[in-house]
Amino acid sequence: MRTLKSKVFSPSIRIVVLMIVTTGVAYPLLVTAIGQTTLPYQSNGSQVILNGKVVGSELIAENFNSTKFFQPRNSTDSGSGVDPDITPDEAYSQIPTISNATGIPTNALRTLVELDIERNKDANGLLFAPDYVRVLNLNVELVTQYPEIYQVSANGGP
Amino acid sequence: MDIIILLVVLIGSLGLAVIFGRYMARMIVYEKRPLEKTLGRVENGFYHLIGVDKYEQMTWKQYFLALIVTNVIAAVFLMVILLYQNSLPLSPKPGLSIDLAFNTVASFVTNTDLQHYAGDQQLSIFSQMVGLIFMMFVAPASGIASCFAFIRAFIRKEFGLGNFYVDFTRIILTLLLPIAFISALLLLLLGVPQTLDSSITVGNLQGGNQTITIGPVASLESIKQLGSNGGGFFGANSAHPYENPNGLSNVFETILMLVIPFSLPIAYAHLLGRGRGISILAAMLIGFGVMLALGLSEHNGLTGLETRFGSFGTTLFMESSLATNTGSANAALSGLSPNAIIGGYLGMFIQAIPGADGTGMMTMIIFIILTLFIVGLMVGKTPEFMSMKITPRDVRLAAFVFLIHPAFILIPTVVAYTSENAQSVLGTPTTAATYNQVLYEFTSASANNGSDYLGTSANILFFNWSTALVMLVGRYAPIGLMLAIAGSFTTRDRKEIIEPIKTSGPLFVGVLSIMVFILTALTFFPFLVMGPFLM
Repeated sequence: MRTLKSKVFSPSIRIVVLMIVTTGVAYPLLVTAIGQTTLPYQSNGSQVILNGKVVGSELIAENFNSTKFFQPRNSTDSGSGVDPDITPDEAYSQIPTISNATGIPTNALRTLVELDIERNKDANGLLFAPDYVRVLNLNVELVTQYPEIYQVSANGGP
Repeated sequence: MDIIILLVVLIGSLGLAVIFGRYMARMIVYEKRPLEKTLGRVENGFYHLIGVDKYEQMTWKQYFLALIVTNVIAAVFLMVILLYQNSLPLSPKPGLSIDLAFNTVASFVTNTDLQHYAGDQQLSIFSQMVGLIFMMFVAPASGIASCFAFIRAFIRKEFGLGNFYVDFTRIILTLLLPIAFISALLLLLLGVPQTLDSSITVGNLQGGNQTITIGPVASLESIKQLGSNGGGFFGANSAHPYENPNGLSNVFETILMLVIPFSLPIAYAHLLGRGRGISILAAMLIGFGVMLALGLSEHNGLTGLETRFGSFGTTLFMESSLATNTGSANAALSGLSPNAIIGGYLGMFIQAIPGADGTGMMTMIIFIILTLFIVGLMVGKTPEFMSMKITPRDVRLAAFVFLIHPAFILIPTVVAYTSENAQSVLGTPTTAATYNQVLYEFTSASANNGSDYLGTSANILFFNWSTALVMLVGRYAPIGLMLAIAGSFTTRDRKEIIEPIKTSGPLFVGVLSIMVFILTALTFFPFLVMGPFLM
């Protein structure tokens, strides 16, 4: 019994305590420290800033109830429920509605969609993801390019 | 484009496996590693604090006991955290119920990571970090350590199985931790967050606010994938954009799952014969190839999938996750094609193509022993492995390892229906699709995989206790039996003659693959016919 205690229980308890400190405390804290100092944008959830204000996270779908904006997927359609992206076809199909609501010509909207697709391609090393449109980035681009149309929205309130 | 992603995943994981396989071979036989002096000094400090003599060898019983006791102590620690997280720091949440806490502890200590809770809603940052991240190192380190002991049994007579505490320390400090650390930084770079805050409140473009759950995701995500764990920070697992933000992170996370399982046959090749190790790897790749072919034979619709991965990136990730029994998911299982699900079952039934960290390799050697026995009977030769006679006891133990799995899938599935617990969660009438979800639940639990359809809806007394029991048996019974086999092989005489049935070369790979397939098909076919085949 004495050997069992000194040979098994004691080293097991000690190794568990040491590993809690190493892997459960030191490791995540070190990654946090490095992340917060060198990659604050990613570390804090990829928050998109427009005119000095945070307008959402690039990675989390945001609800848009106005037809002036591109719409994300319905939350239950995706795997995560917060899919931040839509397919190019889906984006193109929304263009006529947005053009009607805002008066922005359809070919201008199409160009913005294509630019967003290109940007996402670059972010994925050109090859590693299918083409997609990141909805919030695209909408931020709309507000930036057409401030007079989106003035009310950009200052808060629909 | 798809073919390039596939090649990058295969070449990337196999290329890294060549490097890590060589490194792990050195770990198994205590040869000099890069930075040996520094590593040795750190490890000696740990041995001193733990109070073990690093030269002391253990018998298989001592090794298994040390593993069990260490796992139990780690489990008690996690249990206390989950029950009392309301009085612990870092965004406290209500403590879990006893049955849910026990299920979660059993799930993470057995390298399963079945989740009947939603981490983003129910766990505090403290629980995720100090509780789960810690356990995500303990579980794969225990599996890899048993595999090291198992491989040592074949090296030469009385080489010794090693010392559990030494292996466990070395595997965490000099294998898992450095890779997890670098991988966490890479994931951070690709967009995975890392903060001690539990949520951020951000304005919306249209006005108003939204609150988003966040936390130390990158440090959890890397070891989750590397350690064949699979338990997500978020309920949505790797489908959540904070766990897996884009196509590049998806490819990287897929490679991380495959690296260690592919490294072990390469370590085996360095220690026990190049041809033998490569043949094991080839058999694993054939099985994995069949899973991929099944998964890719049908296109998945976009429902339940994430736009940024598409059908191909989803299938590749999911089949890798099921092949390695990681169990992480980058899509809802209900969004996958029936063929992709059947491919996944194949991975969970066999558990060795390539299987989880450590245990996958051991299971493949069990299949080799069974194959040699059956083929030996057919050609009328005494079965031998590594120039050692295979005894009736070895075959009995190997057969037990093989049979525990179907028993602990079938019986609980039947009990779930006869006790009407399955119906209470999934409703009546029972269809092929709902039966499939129950079969999948217990298959995943027994294989220590952890993916599931039911998720939080299985948070009822019956499923919490029954899957906990299945996970514990599915983990520790085979490890104990396999260490017992190792214990008898290490004391056995080696003959100097050529083995009667060569355990390398294309013929052996073919025979082994067919035997694995036949044994699995004969055992599990009836289960599949009733559910997945009818979907």
